[in-house]
Amino acid sequence: MKQYFRIIILILTTIALSHQSLSASEEQQGVESNSSPVDLLSKVVDSNYLDFQPLGYIELPRFFYAEDGFHFFRSTTSALNSDRGFIDVAYLENEPETEGGVVVPATYELTRAEGEPQILFDFSITKHLVWFWFGVFIVFIIFIPLARKYQRGVGRTTEPNGVFQNIFETLVLFIRDNVARPNIPEDKYEKFMPYLLTAFFSILFMNLFGLLPWGVSSTADVTVTAALAVLTFFATQIFASKDHWKHIFWFPDVPVFIKIMMIPVEIVGQFTKPFALCIRLFANMTSGKILIFSLISAIFIIDIHFGAIAAYGSSIFWIGLTLFVYILKAFIAFIQAYVFVILSALFIGLATEEHDHHHGDEHAVEHAHS
Amino acid sequence: MEVLGAALGAGLSALAAGIGIGNLAKGAMDGTARQPEASNDIRTSMLISAALIEGAALAGIVLSFLLVIVA
Repeated sequence: MKQYFRIIILILTTIALSHQSLSASEEQQGVESNSSPVDLLSKVVDSNYLDFQPLGYIELPRFFYAEDGFHFFRSTTSALNSDRGFIDVAYLENEPETEGGVVVPATYELTRAEGEPQILFDFSITKHLVWFWFGVFIVFIIFIPLARKYQRGVGRTTEPNGVFQNIFETLVLFIRDNVARPNIPEDKYEKFMPYLLTAFFSILFMNLFGLLPWGVSSTADVTVTAALAVLTFFATQIFASKDHWKHIFWFPDVPVFIKIMMIPVEIVGQFTKPFALCIRLFANMTSGKILIFSLISAIFIIDIHFGAIAAYGSSIFWIGLTLFVYILKAFIAFIQAYVFVILSALFIGLATEEHDHHHGDEHAVEHAHS
Repeated sequence: MEVLGAALGAGLSALAAGIGIGNLAKGAMDGTARQPEASNDIRTSMLISAALIEGAALAGIVLSFLLVIVA
């Protein structure tokens, strides 16, 4: 059954990627590059196409919910050329660009003319979503065979064999012994291991994809990290102990006035924790990306200001610096995945912990030291 | 002018993060030198606090980046 499931996912991914219309639309570059020689923003923000720059673009499927129902298109180009009245935002004022009689997208932001049924939701598949799926898919195909191996007893009764099992057993044990066990109460940490491992490995793979040629780290998108942080938020709130709620709504061992003051503070605190989790991962991955592109584009900026020879001469320096940032980014990919899970484990541990406040101060002191 | 402000902001964030993480590393190194057997615990808590400090610095840098883009 699982075998079929995996095959279906594989086929779906292939179909989604093979409906490609490799139309290298030249004006995509011309629209925004009026001041800067390098279009940094199009590399950082999400888009409705996969960018394989010298080779072209692969447009991704578009999926809309408009006032007249659902619309599904294979690509943005086919949405523009359908008779359902979708227009590129740039074409509302300008003449549409055509290539061999086919209208090509300029901004990929579609709309409809005045009076037509308007688009309510844009569910389109985007670049970051594709790379997100890809990361999750890699986790799937690595860990399901691995789990089956352990089910057969390889690695439990015998020694682990194979490169993959040895690598990932080390990482899994690292998460269990250094992340889950010290932070989550001893009797509960096993329940959260699946979540922590899934989060760690999918974030790790998504981070590392940013280092591949043409690769995009989807964790450099605030919506992806926000979704991950929301999962942590629910994990903390749903599995929270009675003491957790007591701490929020009636803080123990303080005067009544302060108890009332602590309620809003504690409630806000519950939301700021996952918010910080989300922003940290997003900002780290985005800044690494921007740094690499900035260092590379420094060559082109020097080319404009000081001429080609200076650009060629200094390119070795910039490429060396980029290489350094690259290695740093590979390191940060691990660190950030680790920080995300360790903070998740910390928050879960804080929420699920059961304190004993009824036995007086001595016990609290003892508890703090244990 | 906005670019200047953004550059100053990014520089100040980097400066503050540098001071913060430098202090943190100093403390961690001192601790590890004094008690090498506790180095694992020290490393873990150092990484966590480094990430927290870095988060504050990155918030500043993202803000100045936005200032350049939007302005």
